[in-house]
Amino acid sequence: MWKYFSALFKKDCRLLASGKFFLLTAGFLALYTAYINFGYIRFLKMPIYNVYLYDPTGTQTETSSQIKTVTSRKALDAALKTDDNGVGLDASSGEIKVLLYRGAPPVDRHRADYALSLLQPAAFVSPEKIGAFAPEEKARREITCELLFFELSAVGFLGIAAVLFKEKGMGVIRVHAVLPFSKNLFLASKLAVFLLCDLCFAALLTLFNVGAGGIAILPAVLLQTAILSLVMALAGLGFSLLLKDFRTFTLVYLLLAVFAATPVFLSANTSVKFGWIDFHPFYHFFMGLKNAYFQTPAARPLYYICSVGAIGLLFLGVQFAFHREMGKEA
Amino acid sequence: MHGIAYQLKSVLKDKFCLMTFLLPLAVAAALHFAGSIDLSSLGELHFAVLEKDLSRQTTDWLKRYGLVTACENRTELTATIAEPSTNVIGVMADGPGIRTIIAGDELDIFQQAAGTLPALYAQRDAAAAASVQTLERPDILAGFSDIFPSAVLLMAMFMGCTFNAMNILSEKEDGVALINEILPITPGQYIFQKIAVGFLFGCLSSVATACICFRLSGRRAGLMLAFVLLASFVAALMGLFIGRLSRGLMDGVVYIKIVLLLFLAVPILYTLTGVNGPLAALCYLTPSQPAFAGIRALNAGNTGVCVRELVILASHCAAWVSLYVVLSIRRKK
Repeated sequence: MWKYFSALFKKDCRLLASGKFFLLTAGFLALYTAYINFGYIRFLKMPIYNVYLYDPTGTQTETSSQIKTVTSRKALDAALKTDDNGVGLDASSGEIKVLLYRGAPPVDRHRADYALSLLQPAAFVSPEKIGAFAPEEKARREITCELLFFELSAVGFLGIAAVLFKEKGMGVIRVHAVLPFSKNLFLASKLAVFLLCDLCFAALLTLFNVGAGGIAILPAVLLQTAILSLVMALAGLGFSLLLKDFRTFTLVYLLLAVFAATPVFLSANTSVKFGWIDFHPFYHFFMGLKNAYFQTPAARPLYYICSVGAIGLLFLGVQFAFHREMGKEA
Repeated sequence: MHGIAYQLKSVLKDKFCLMTFLLPLAVAAALHFAGSIDLSSLGELHFAVLEKDLSRQTTDWLKRYGLVTACENRTELTATIAEPSTNVIGVMADGPGIRTIIAGDELDIFQQAAGTLPALYAQRDAAAAASVQTLERPDILAGFSDIFPSAVLLMAMFMGCTFNAMNILSEKEDGVALINEILPITPGQYIFQKIAVGFLFGCLSSVATACICFRLSGRRAGLMLAFVLLASFVAALMGLFIGRLSRGLMDGVVYIKIVLLLFLAVPILYTLTGVNGPLAALCYLTPSQPAFAGIRALNAGNTGVCVRELVILASHCAAWVSLYVVLSIRRKK
């Protein structure tokens, strides 16, 4: 049996290599790594609002060092125009007048009060920090997790289907009906190839981008990757066996990408929360991956039981579809 | 004209193509009926407090700056603050004042805000007395509530791209492309027919989406139509480029994905992060950026910006057409 499996495995590897699947994956790995290191991390510098003070008579004596002094009212207006998140303080009439461009009302109130607080010395008291990560570390973990999820659930999924449709088109699946080995080996070898590829991808992406902490979280990340990868590979197999051609699949894929991914990303990464998100299976996969990256306590056993159950059910479904496809006559 | 009839016939037989155009409509309808998702809270501060720890007045004071979540015990408070997806600032009573707790992984702006909050609290009475003058922003819109409908419309506009690329690729796969080469049809006619079909369906899909997502009247509806026409044209042209450059269906799908991702990501990132300088100019190299900015400006009733974006989009059309023509001529040689 092992002999058959290794022959199938080699064949699948060759098929993927000829379809430039590995090349594409390596390309995405390079693209993501470049994006994280040269784009995203630099993007995230978001300092607090600048405060500009126009005080011709020098009424304010004990101002904070964070205040930028301007020499005329015109300069104050110009500064606010170029930096429309900034706050202007005009002390020329003796009383302080706060000037700012309109944003969301709560934010505006905070900007105004913050600017006024800087007129007193030593306004800053270091808050107590209870988290384990520095901002850059967190940003790296967060974006790596998102990209890995995107790659596994979107890019990898598409690749799997593309390869399978090619085999289906060539009639390879029907040939297996007459080959003298267990039919499950065909599915097992496919799953093994994609799983290995995804695991390598996840490990490299994590090590390249998370930095020194990457090694410690690797086992947990790989476990979650394996779950998601198996689910996606089985779903891809199922779709490619059930749907007529690759073009129909692309449509299903598009629907999945829009309706499955968007709410998950919104719910998991921002303060926007949907009540029904708990019923969304991808949300749990994403949170599993995210918890692994942030070393937060592992998910409940129920999650793992459900995952294994889902993988088992999908496997049975795919097995059924595969047997049906083999039995078809052209 | 006769050619276009044939193209339309081939489109109508292709269920995939038809559904591509219906997809944005479905999303638009879903968004419309699900109610707009409230993104306005994203820029606000978010606080977590312990129940019965702070006085009612203090909690009300915090609510002036943003959302306040009440936690039952210290463990829940810690978990809320440490949750990586949010920038929650924990606030606790500290004698007559308050003290703040953060995770330490927040952006600078939230760390600073947490650090200055006790001082803000101490000076709250003085701050309430100060006079505040808010100025209207000249061309930047407050809030991001229109991002979703605009993005859906953008998707509808650029569906012509997916459609044309897939159409040409399937012709390539079926061998129709080779037959086309011996038919008495000039490359010019071929391009015209292809663009016409993608353009037509892109326009129809966008107009329907716009009707669902936006309520416009008179002159603004005219401007919206201009955006739809120009953007659908560029999209149809992009589809031709993809169809031409890719060898097989797989290549094509990868190209379409990259192009769609760029088209959607660039304007949304531009809007959310508010980049400026050379990077902003670089963003305008994608045709979706002027289209997106224009739609948002139109929605906010800012006609001046709208016309500027329209001109940029029109120059995109001209530039891409010339590029396509130059490439075709060079290929012939």
